[in-house]
Amino acid sequence: MNTYYAANLLIYAGIDIIACLALNLQFGVTGIVNFSFIVFQAVGAYAAAVLSMPPDTANGGFQHYIGGYSLPFPAPWVGGAVAGGLLAIPVGFVVLRKLRSDYQAIALLVLSVIANTVITNADKFLGGAAGISLVPPPLSDVINPNTEPYEYLYVGITAVCVVLALVVVNRVVNSPYGRSLRAMRERELAAAAIGKNPVQLKMTIFIVGGVIAGLSGAILVGFIQVWAPSVWLYPETIILFAAIIVGGRGNNVGAILGALLVPVGFEEVTRLLNNNASIANLGPPGLIPALQWVAIGLLILGFLWFRPQGVRPEPRRIFEGGPE
Amino acid sequence: MSSTLTAPTDKPMLVANDIHRHFEGMHAVDGVSLDVIPGKITGLIGPNGAGKSTFMAVLAGTLPATSGTIVFDGEDITRMPAYMRARRRLVRTFQLPSEFAQLTVLENLLVAAPTNRGDSLFGALMGKRYWIEDERRLVGEARSLLKRFGMSAKESDYAGSMSGGQKRLIEIMRALMLHPSLLLLDEPMSGVHPKIVEEIQYYLQDLRAEGLTILMVEHELHMVERLCDTVVVMAQGKVIGSGTMTSLRRQREIVDAYLVG
Repeated sequence: MNTYYAANLLIYAGIDIIACLALNLQFGVTGIVNFSFIVFQAVGAYAAAVLSMPPDTANGGFQHYIGGYSLPFPAPWVGGAVAGGLLAIPVGFVVLRKLRSDYQAIALLVLSVIANTVITNADKFLGGAAGISLVPPPLSDVINPNTEPYEYLYVGITAVCVVLALVVVNRVVNSPYGRSLRAMRERELAAAAIGKNPVQLKMTIFIVGGVIAGLSGAILVGFIQVWAPSVWLYPETIILFAAIIVGGRGNNVGAILGALLVPVGFEEVTRLLNNNASIANLGPPGLIPALQWVAIGLLILGFLWFRPQGVRPEPRRIFEGGPE
Repeated sequence: MSSTLTAPTDKPMLVANDIHRHFEGMHAVDGVSLDVIPGKITGLIGPNGAGKSTFMAVLAGTLPATSGTIVFDGEDITRMPAYMRARRRLVRTFQLPSEFAQLTVLENLLVAAPTNRGDSLFGALMGKRYWIEDERRLVGEARSLLKRFGMSAKESDYAGSMSGGQKRLIEIMRALMLHPSLLLLDEPMSGVHPKIVEEIQYYLQDLRAEGLTILMVEHELHMVERLCDTVVVMAQGKVIGSGTMTSLRRQREIVDAYLVG
């Protein structure tokens, strides 16, 4: 295993962990079935890209996008996080106020499909289907991004962001506020009857989750240096849901575990299978990648059937000084 | 219809005036007026489908009224959402068990406490040191309630694993954590073991003695007779009578409509 591969794996793991922590906060703890989660990662990535890139007339003007501000790190990452949070405001305002939670899920799924279609076809806005490329890696003016130390640096910055996200979600989940969120998840009417404002709680967590998702997108685009609609199709959200279901809904450790098991571990194994010529040539072309989706579906079904609480279930909170 | 049995000096805590609640042409509540007098237990009885639970839901804000006004503590709360009424200490329980199943019994009580610094995003992000004092105080308060209701041993169990009667108690304790000034109880005894029914009855009497005002829907008439100072009878969405249970038993049309036996 070379350094590049190891760094690659670690950075992806960090990004998926951050995304899963945010989705766990929304879905596992608060009960918002955010089927448009990947859109929030995407908006963070686009925002970070256009904030860090020069105007689209640079590089011979071969691509088209709005903005282009050449801002230094960490401004594009902060911008990505802010963009995720800002997007959550209108979306939450429309979806979370009046609709019942099952309809919320459908509305968010549809939103994800619409957003992808719009961005794909609005080719002057954010590069259309071709997307945006040549996104400058953070700090590339200070240190050459094609070196081994840079790989370590990127792993390090990602790790700092993971810790930051973990501190935020841990504090929320393990606080009295987190308890209110869980109560609302269990029974919204009863939560309102004890003075909780369900719309406000959901909106707040939708925005907090959007901020964290936006940050994960910013880290991702800084690393892969390209961003296009094909990398944030709605099934990407399903993979993250699979991670939360496998890891354990409502448990931050479970979300980390799920991120390592599903988007990182599972996808990596199936990708390696596909790299193996004798396996990849089985059946018609595209069979193995298609089976990967079948496997994700079976994984979700299997866990929901046999172990719905996940590998690490939500912990039972026991208070000091009680009986026994 | 105001109760005629209370002294005129007793200013009502809650005044519902001509409340209507229609569902697609069905008049579930059809012009109900009712006063709740502080420090008393008011009973709301009537046959199934009389509109009692709908009326309670309208008072608590769970359902909006189609028309009419509700004044609570001198404030018009007709258009106020349920959570704001709860914050003004008008607290309801539900006809069906409504515990937070995946929270422990103790957490079910703690979550209702309105005065915890950690119960906001800001407070949560500030970290445990910011809110631990409040949490300790409220754990103490919740434990004394659990002790009083004989459920101390269950504090760390999931509320979802409790029996029907225990869930009722949890809900009453949860409501008490809000320090209600008016408690709306929707059939607190339904589906509850007779032994616990008796316990609930004692608890409610104790609470009244402490000055809590209660409006309760109940089917068990002997219970109503023992507990309630005033009883309001509803049928087909309207109030058909009110007074003490003894006086109601003397009114022919009410007996015909409901109080058989």
